[in-house]
Amino acid sequence: MTLARRRGATTERLVALPAWPYPEPVDLLERDRERAVLAAAIARAHAGQGSGVAVTGESGAGKSTVLATARAAMREPANAPARFLIGSCDPLWTPRPLGPFRDIGEIAAAAGLGPLLHGLHGLDGLDGEDLALAHLCERIYEVLRDQATVLVVEDLHWVDAASVEVLRFLARRIEAMPLALLVSYRDDEIGPGHPARPLLGDFARLVSLSTLSLRPLSVDGVRTLVEGTSLDPERVHAVTGGNPFFVAEVVKDPSRPLPASVRDAVLARAADVTPEDFEVLQMVAAAPDRLDDRVLPALGVDLPTLRRLDATGLLTRARGGLTFRHELARRAVETTIPPGGAPRLHARLLAALERIEPRDPAVLTHHAIAAHDGARVVKYATQAARQAIYAGSHSEAAAFFETALDHQDAAAPAERAALLLRLANERYMTSRLSEAITQVSATFPLWRQAGDPSGLAAAYNACALYEYYAGRRRQAEAYADRAASVAAAPGHELRDATARAYATARATRGYLAYMRGELALAGQCCAESGRAADQLGQGELALRSQLIQAACAVADGDGDSRALLVEHVETARAHGWDELVSTGHSSLANLDVEQRRHPEAEHVLAESLPFTIERDIPICRHWQTAVRSRLHFARGRWSAAVEDAEQVLEGPGMPLATLWPYLVTALVPLRRGTDGPETHLDAARRLAEQLDEPPRRLAVFSALAERMWMTEQPDPLVTEAAVAELPELAAAAGSVWAAGDLAVWLARLGLLAERPFLVAPPFQLTLDGQHEEAAAWWRRAGEPFAEAMAWCDAADPAARARGIELLDQLGATGTADRQRAALRRDGVSQLPQRPRASTRGNPAGLTNRQLDVARLVARGLTNAEIATRLYISPKTADHHVSAVLGKLGLPTRRAVVVQADELGLV
Amino acid sequence: MPRFVIERDIPGAGNLTQEELATIAQTSRDAVASLGVPYTWVNSYVTDDRIYCVHEADDAESILEHARRGGFPANRVSVVANEFGPHTAELAPVAASAPAPAR
Repeated sequence: MTLARRRGATTERLVALPAWPYPEPVDLLERDRERAVLAAAIARAHAGQGSGVAVTGESGAGKSTVLATARAAMREPANAPARFLIGSCDPLWTPRPLGPFRDIGEIAAAAGLGPLLHGLHGLDGLDGEDLALAHLCERIYEVLRDQATVLVVEDLHWVDAASVEVLRFLARRIEAMPLALLVSYRDDEIGPGHPARPLLGDFARLVSLSTLSLRPLSVDGVRTLVEGTSLDPERVHAVTGGNPFFVAEVVKDPSRPLPASVRDAVLARAADVTPEDFEVLQMVAAAPDRLDDRVLPALGVDLPTLRRLDATGLLTRARGGLTFRHELARRAVETTIPPGGAPRLHARLLAALERIEPRDPAVLTHHAIAAHDGARVVKYATQAARQAIYAGSHSEAAAFFETALDHQDAAAPAERAALLLRLANERYMTSRLSEAITQVSATFPLWRQAGDPSGLAAAYNACALYEYYAGRRRQAEAYADRAASVAAAPGHELRDATARAYATARATRGYLAYMRGELALAGQCCAESGRAADQLGQGELALRSQLIQAACAVADGDGDSRALLVEHVETARAHGWDELVSTGHSSLANLDVEQRRHPEAEHVLAESLPFTIERDIPICRHWQTAVRSRLHFARGRWSAAVEDAEQVLEGPGMPLATLWPYLVTALVPLRRGTDGPETHLDAARRLAEQLDEPPRRLAVFSALAERMWMTEQPDPLVTEAAVAELPELAAAAGSVWAAGDLAVWLARLGLLAERPFLVAPPFQLTLDGQHEEAAAWWRRAGEPFAEAMAWCDAADPAARARGIELLDQLGATGTADRQRAALRRDGVSQLPQRPRASTRGNPAGLTNRQLDVARLVARGLTNAEIATRLYISPKTADHHVSAVLGKLGLPTRRAVVVQADELGLV
Repeated sequence: MPRFVIERDIPGAGNLTQEELATIAQTSRDAVASLGVPYTWVNSYVTDDRIYCVHEADDAESILEHARRGGFPANRVSVVANEFGPHTAELAPVAASAPAPAR
């Protein structure tokens, strides 16, 4: 057992140390407004209402100082003192995952984080347990929820992606927590792609978060500071620009000539230091976080030296080591290190750090890079990457892998290939698919060089998946086939590794075949995969084959197989096979929506989407959000549908998931009669062609047919291509629903000739002329638009009027007007009026958040209960409920409860 | 040089093996050597959840510095005001009616 110190706890009790690493707060000039805002935030935290404040400004503007004074001014009720927790971020090459939180004793203990990561096999105290980022967030939330706390996180411009996730998690819940979240950063160091951007976006957007910008001192402010000296305030202001740190440095030694820069001012303070002592200062400057106390013996720094250096006023003791009081001072000293001297310094630091436990691979990587020690860079960067993956920071993991690859010196090809493969995986995890594919492809020649068929097969398999996620089916199928043939090639002994690669490749091919409705091929591939997996005792692979086969059966219309598919998902969950669980969910939800089992689909997605976020499975998160978009669209909740669709379409994402989002974002405006994105239907069409999957191609044709019907402009894609391809597409397994939808639209356009294929029941009813029965079917299924169109298909004007009314209620003004025009043309004079906007309740207009609230209202929850559920304040809950009632056009919550079924809220 | 008693809260200290104690001792000695001031680690006593250490140093600051360098907690540092033992009894004033001290 090592005697790792819990830094937070002991620092406060050590006698001679300042517990606060910031410079003595002097009279803070021109910061009254900021101090008031901070004090208010802290007072509110005591009262149980949380808020956040971000302090920004250039280096030396006094961000730390103003936060320090806020603490000093805290007036705590004696019976419930607040905790004050500080974490900071360091200027490392690549940041430490969850860096600021590791330094905070209470949080680290509760979240199972050691002060530094304890080995690779598990986090401190939780051997073997893979702490998903979501669990971490929950634990940190628990710690902060019970007691009034002020949480300070400084220097966000150096923050890592995982910490940003935790902070955003807290920011979303902060209203209902007794927490004052105070952060600081330099705004000029946060560019567009910076990990902290989304958090800053939250600060700009959310009501309980605000941002303070520290301005330089005015001449008057400088005048007050230089009072009593012979310094000329105007000159000082001109030289320093009003930068508080710089001014303070100047004032400390007013008799010296004015330094031209901050650097000069800082170095002037070290002017009397001996060369040996100055080297110690340089060593502290070389450490990006702090010079750990425990390496002082190895570095030969004794106590008298520290006492001498104390006299410069440049250093302080914090976070278990020596650090400069200000980053500007650190940088000033760092610039004095001669170019040849830096590697030597870092090498010394590295050697000393390697002797203490536990190690921090991110810090060690930083020093190894500066020391030009390639072997160590590879070693520590790989460890740091693994740590980042545990913490859920994939962009940082990728950066570490890249660093390792850059420093890998003539490595064995298999080693290099393995690293590249892992980097490619991190690129996929951050939705950079084309880079992932490039990197995987780079491993192919390396595996061949190494004579490693299982590695090559695994690489081909990974490439197949990435190509599929990018929407390129042909390439995906080719890679999957290549993977299988390489793994099964004679001449290589059938080792476990190759057999496993073979089984995986066949399962991938089977999945691709299933998605295309090639059920016979899918069955064959899965059987082969299953056999190999069974022989190897590979439970997960075996279950994967079974799961795909169950999905095939459901797609083919076998209702009983759904229970089997669900069972397989549960088995996967019991074994902790997260990716398989999520794949199962994706297939299940998709099949449910396709086959119009909407309540079941809602149920699946309610559970599965949070799972994808919690377990960090991006492809499934995108896919399932797209499925939910389609579900909302079908159920007439168009605002929520567009919300989900836009989420999938923004950012690089996974093209595979974008098909329905394109259709939704094109069709909703069309139906509403507003302007929509012109290019989306075309994008959907091109994607569907590349994917070459009948249900998707049919869906695109349906959308094009709907547009043609609405605009009354002939479209050869509909009149020629759709009509010609329909019979063949309809014959594919699992296409009866999509084929029916297209057939009905073509019928409306008068383009449907014969029908030698099967369609699903509700479409059958329409094509047979049984419109009332069709409308009833859609009503039961909960699809108001389809129901309305079915009414409009009838000959009876009263039925058609009813359909138009339904369309108006939905907000489908465009479609309603088109139907009105049709009625007029048929000689009907009595047309239903367009309802006035104010009398219209519009359930279609509820956003996802409002849907959440509406469901809770339908269950009879009070505002307080809703607030607790959704981690918001009762006041915000009240606002949401009002908005919901307004959009639904209902007077009371009771009405929502009564109409819950009709509104589709259960 | 004053003596100090240092209390170090370490849950499970009583379970430390001899090997672990040897490593800790080496770390402590290295820390002492690195201080560059007069300093003596006299002895340490291990209980279930706490280690009591007796050190000689010029001031408490040196004690804390040693603790930092070794990575040890120092939850309480107390100056030894005085020491006594069985032998101290011999210095007690002899009362008139007291029996002669036994040898």
